[in-house]
Amino acid sequence: MTESPRRSLTQGDTIVALATPPGRGAIAVIRLSGQDAPRIAARHLSPWPIEPRVATLCEISDGYGGRMEQALVTWFPAPNSYTGETVIEISTHGGDLTPALVIEQLVASGARPAEPGEFTRRAVLNGKMDLLQAEAVADLIDAPSRAMRDAAVRQLDGGLSRRVLDLRAAMLEIEALLAYDIDFPEEDDGPVPRERVLRAIDSALASLDQLLATVPRGELIRSGAVVVIAGEPNVGKSSLFNALIGRSRAIVTEIPGTTRDAIEAVIDGDRWPLRLVDTAGIRDATDVVERLGVELSQRHIQGAHVVLACGDSSESIAHVRESVSRLGASAAVISARTKSDLSVGAADAGAAGAVLVSATTGAGLRELLARIDGELSKLYGAGDGDTPVVTRSRHRAILAAARAELTGFREGWLAGVLPATVAAVHLRSAVHSLEELIGSVDVEDVLDRVFSSFCVGK
Amino acid sequence: MEQDFDVLVVGAGHAGTEAAVAAARLGATVGLITSALETIGQMSCNPAIGGVAKGTVVREVDALGGIMGRATDLSTLQFRMLNRGKGPAVWSPRAQCDRGLYRRAARSLLERHDNLQTIQGTVARLLMDGDSVRGVETLEGRRFGAKCVVITTGTFLRGRMHIGTTTQIPGGRAGDAATTHLAEQLENAGLQVARFKTGTPPRIDGRTVDFSSLAIQESEIDRFDYSWSHFWTTPRVSNGVARHPAQLPCWITHLGAAGKEIITRNIAQSAMYGGAIASRGPRYCPSVEDKIVKFPAAATHQLFLEPEGHDTAELYVNGLSTSLPAPVQLEILRSIPGLERVRMNRAGYAIEYDYYPPTQLDQTLQVKTVPGLFFAGQINGTTGYEEAAGQGLVAGANAALRAQQRDPLVLGRETSYIGVLVDDLVTRGVDEPYRLFTSRSEFRLTVRQDNALQRLSSIATRLGLYSEEEQTIAERRVGEVRDAISMAENSSIRPEQADPVLLAAGGTALKHAMRISEVAKRNGVALAELFSATGIATDLAPESVLSAELEIKYAGYFERERTHADRMSRMGEMKLEPDLPYEEMTMLSFESRQKLAGIRPRTLAQASRIPGVNPSDLQNLLIEVERWRRGPASS
Repeated sequence: MTESPRRSLTQGDTIVALATPPGRGAIAVIRLSGQDAPRIAARHLSPWPIEPRVATLCEISDGYGGRMEQALVTWFPAPNSYTGETVIEISTHGGDLTPALVIEQLVASGARPAEPGEFTRRAVLNGKMDLLQAEAVADLIDAPSRAMRDAAVRQLDGGLSRRVLDLRAAMLEIEALLAYDIDFPEEDDGPVPRERVLRAIDSALASLDQLLATVPRGELIRSGAVVVIAGEPNVGKSSLFNALIGRSRAIVTEIPGTTRDAIEAVIDGDRWPLRLVDTAGIRDATDVVERLGVELSQRHIQGAHVVLACGDSSESIAHVRESVSRLGASAAVISARTKSDLSVGAADAGAAGAVLVSATTGAGLRELLARIDGELSKLYGAGDGDTPVVTRSRHRAILAAARAELTGFREGWLAGVLPATVAAVHLRSAVHSLEELIGSVDVEDVLDRVFSSFCVGK
Repeated sequence: MEQDFDVLVVGAGHAGTEAAVAAARLGATVGLITSALETIGQMSCNPAIGGVAKGTVVREVDALGGIMGRATDLSTLQFRMLNRGKGPAVWSPRAQCDRGLYRRAARSLLERHDNLQTIQGTVARLLMDGDSVRGVETLEGRRFGAKCVVITTGTFLRGRMHIGTTTQIPGGRAGDAATTHLAEQLENAGLQVARFKTGTPPRIDGRTVDFSSLAIQESEIDRFDYSWSHFWTTPRVSNGVARHPAQLPCWITHLGAAGKEIITRNIAQSAMYGGAIASRGPRYCPSVEDKIVKFPAAATHQLFLEPEGHDTAELYVNGLSTSLPAPVQLEILRSIPGLERVRMNRAGYAIEYDYYPPTQLDQTLQVKTVPGLFFAGQINGTTGYEEAAGQGLVAGANAALRAQQRDPLVLGRETSYIGVLVDDLVTRGVDEPYRLFTSRSEFRLTVRQDNALQRLSSIATRLGLYSEEEQTIAERRVGEVRDAISMAENSSIRPEQADPVLLAAGGTALKHAMRISEVAKRNGVALAELFSATGIATDLAPESVLSAELEIKYAGYFERERTHADRMSRMGEMKLEPDLPYEEMTMLSFESRQKLAGIRPRTLAQASRIPGVNPSDLQNLLIEVERWRRGPASS
């Protein structure tokens, strides 16, 4: 393999840091990255050298013969490592002390403690990762739910990057057609038909729309679906809340109106995180503090994706549903008949379609979660597992701005009122706003496409 | 030392002549040295000036006092406004010239400058004073001193012509010898050198062409002049003599299946495909061999037969650039409709030549490592007369300004295609012969052929490139655009005046009198026609009315480009020191550090255009620069 110029970035200093969260744990992984990593590691590891990319059991010493620890060590020679530099990963026993002592030794031998995010930054600088992938890494590290993590992993795979490449190709095609149209008026192929440009615009718009269509889902995945538990006082909302999160957090009591403020907890749904919100009971409160809580819950209901209309009788459920619809909420409403273990009277089995749940026995909880998931899927699409999802609001803004420009371009082009150079102002704005996502579209890229598509050369 | 000049220009092609004129206009004493005085202003290739983007450059050169537009106006024998159907914002003038007339016009325009002396001689070497240049010595043994030297030797440095795989002739152009001594010295001075190739088609005897079967392309000359300078002072027709020569048509034919077959059969004998040439040629100006190999599906390739002059029947076969052996060229020619019995005057050929990667130059086109030495034209890896002229002007003006110890001339990308050209060359470099395209400009809406004077006359005035008379004319012309806009805004047009114009443009009639500026916003409606329908502003130059029309029609879009231009010039005001330690800036990617250290941009704006330097690098660059400024010693 030829030496790529980027590899020489490893001439920078060698950094070291704990790669796993600090604190108690079975193992801790220490990562050492940089040109000098082998030299530094060799002072403390034996045997050395070890075979690249094979986990090897080594003794760690203090560099003067004093044995400190046993560890599994893996060596990734540059450029085939996470950062693109030579990386050595040392897995020691967990805890606070051991890894800290090892890092201290490595620093004493010439490594520098890494700044936050520095490994990823080096990966980007060394061309191991594009920015989208780097953002995905950040998301992965603090992914609050399995769904979030899945979306992050798909981005990391380049799923979004691939879609974005399609979009880039579509934009490039329009640029090339316009460039040919303006710059090569006397060629064999003749002028570009207006319809061909129109087709190219439509294809770019379709690409944009595909990405934009995933925005609501992306937001749901990133921020979670707000599931508000609503109902009259004392119907067991907090018990249900706690049952759903699996541990006691809200105060559960028989006295109406105890949950004055809304309490929120995030649980891991199937496809997205669910932000459960327990609210004060909906009723005409007279107490000032309590009224505050009621107003708050009304606001929560208005911002909810799903409202669980809870009640221990069909009347109370109907009452809640009515209150929710009066609030003009756009959320899906699921009826939940609570305390099913106490009153499974045939006459009062609950409103039609209600899920029967019991916070005490746990009955119906799984069905309730499935219903929530079903309603959300109806609203936001189930996702086919490979549709990449735009999870960043910044990306959404970029896509929307580009879409507006392309639409302006399309209108002017269709009406035949915009000369190519004028229409191109829209196009360039669109490309410019997409630059952060699709990378810069250089004039050489455009010309390459022109020359490979058209036989020019009068 | 036989004589001392402020500026010596080596080579008298399109770059050299403009360099000499620009320097002379700035008051410098100028020597222009060329191997043969008769070939001053020679068009080595296609006898046409202008085209898309290029036509705008001719206007710009003219607005800055150059000779290209003037010489073209005096020698045009065929004219077309390209892109006419696509709206005036994209119009691109292109003129075919009488080669002989052009040469004579160029030479006489040079001789109007008393402080410009032409010298016949072949430069053997540069005279140096340490690292700086201080003159030249010719093969004839003549020595001339100069504060600055501008090299514009085109394809002559180690030029090598190829016809077929076996015929190779050293030379810079058919019939002219190559220059090798200077090339060796430049290389010894440590300059990096590389090779490009280009080609030219055969030329034929028009008396042996059967025109009856060919499509004719008549000249569209219609009140068109490249130059504003003589528009007011010289009537188009004076004493019964039109300033433009009589117009001649071009003819269109095509290469068909028979010709393609001949080329395919003989492809191995082509200098390019037979392995005799390895260097890279321009993709936008391919040989006919390239066209056949790369686009086999195309059934025909159109060819333009272009007149070479009034004094000859010779025709230039545009579109048939080739390096096949001469007998094969003749065989191909005779397979072409109309050319069945043609005689070939000159065979086409490919030429390889030295160029110096232009990233070795600063924004004034001065060699960074050799103070006082400037390069312009094909030596910088460009193609085209217009690109050469634009660079010649910038190099010549800067050589004079340097000799006079004045501030340099750097044209921003937002001011002109010349600005784009120079910035691209010194910032991005070239990997194929560089040609301007409108796509290269961020400002193709506001930088147009009709408004060159508006964009550049204040710069020319400030530098002192104009004579007093020219300055008066330029000011008047620039004022006309303002006048035209205010006339359009302050006058109204009645339905009976407007309707013929509107209906002809496919629009609807007016219901009542309206302001002209409102009516002019309509699609396809020319402001000039509205003016003439109302009988006002008829004495304004067509370009002025056109500029006004576009300003009115596309005001919102112009505004967007201007906002972008403002942003760019603000970035241009953020200067970067030439001695920044880029190698030590660890916040930048290694690639950025290397690129920045190689180019050493003068401003943040220039840094932003270096390929491989991305926006996040720019932010980090600012931080690093700030850190360095606060304590250069500590970093």
